[in-house]
Amino acid sequence: MLGEFEYLMITAAAGLGDNAYGAAIREEIEATTGRKCSIGALYTTIDRLETKGLLKTWMGDATPQRGGRAKRMVRVTPKGVHAAKDFYDAVTRVSRGASWVANRTGSAP
Amino acid sequence: MTSTGWSFVEAAARLLARDEREAVLGDLLEADENALQGLVGVLSLVFRREVALWKSWRPWLAAFGVALPSSLLLMGVSLSVTWSYLTLRCPELLQKSSLTLGSGSLVLLCQTLLLIGWSWTGGFVVGSLSRRTLWASTLLCSSPCLFCLSRFRVESLSRFCLLLFLLPAIWGVHHGLRISRMKLRWAIALAITVTALMLPGWSSGAQHWWAPPQWTLNWILIWPAWYLVVTSWRFRTEVRRA
Repeated sequence: MLGEFEYLMITAAAGLGDNAYGAAIREEIEATTGRKCSIGALYTTIDRLETKGLLKTWMGDATPQRGGRAKRMVRVTPKGVHAAKDFYDAVTRVSRGASWVANRTGSAP
Repeated sequence: MTSTGWSFVEAAARLLARDEREAVLGDLLEADENALQGLVGVLSLVFRREVALWKSWRPWLAAFGVALPSSLLLMGVSLSVTWSYLTLRCPELLQKSSLTLGSGSLVLLCQTLLLIGWSWTGGFVVGSLSRRTLWASTLLCSSPCLFCLSRFRVESLSRFCLLLFLLPAIWGVHHGLRISRMKLRWAIALAITVTALMLPGWSSGAQHWWAPPQWTLNWILIWPAWYLVVTSWRFRTEVRRA
């Protein structure tokens, strides 16, 4: 099963689609979670997910705003989509009845 | 990001692989981070990469199983070869050793070939096992060398005779980095040759002046040669299965 940060990364990469690369994924994670995402955590997680076959990466084009340096493009594989869906389903199931879930069926604390 | 700060970040990024360096430096520029944030980010990635490398058994084996013990023992063998050479050149010493010029030359040849064989195979294994952690193996090899060099006090000998093993070892590392495994027949031939050269020393014990010091520890020097045989054999088996 995925870890929390792995899930965030796959979801961010999937949401960015063809524009998923290191800096964009990092910005997306920071914007949606409000947490700092270090370069170290980002690239080691990308490598780990690629080793597991959940992501595919390749070197993309260089742009002037990056000082002519290439991007490391990321694409979520079907196996990655499946793993993210499993994680989401598990979190949804385990959250049923939790007090912080808006349409909870359990009693209030 | 200032040019001075940027140069520090770029210098730190040199510790990363080329493609990763490109991507990381580009990301930092795009995110418009300051030099300190960039430096911390790059160094944290370098640290994580290094930690990940050491999760494998290979760099540990290369550093503590080959580089450190082999350098200690091979300094002794280097000294032994030097003594053999000096004995051959000095008739008085040759007479004391109860060896003839012919047998003494043969002993020197065997010792030299053993030194080359042990050093080369050790270097090859270190190179093939620890490509990206070679710095650690080099450090562990050079520490005892520097210690012994600083303590070596024999007037008739240069202290650098301790380092005779270095040249074949570096040659082995160079090959190990390039090809990572040998052809099986060459690996077997090398292992058998080195083992055969060791046998006279084993059978006659350490009472002979020319016997390598602490011959009982010679297995530390011979296992890299047989490790090469095993890895080559396993690779060939996997290729045949595929």
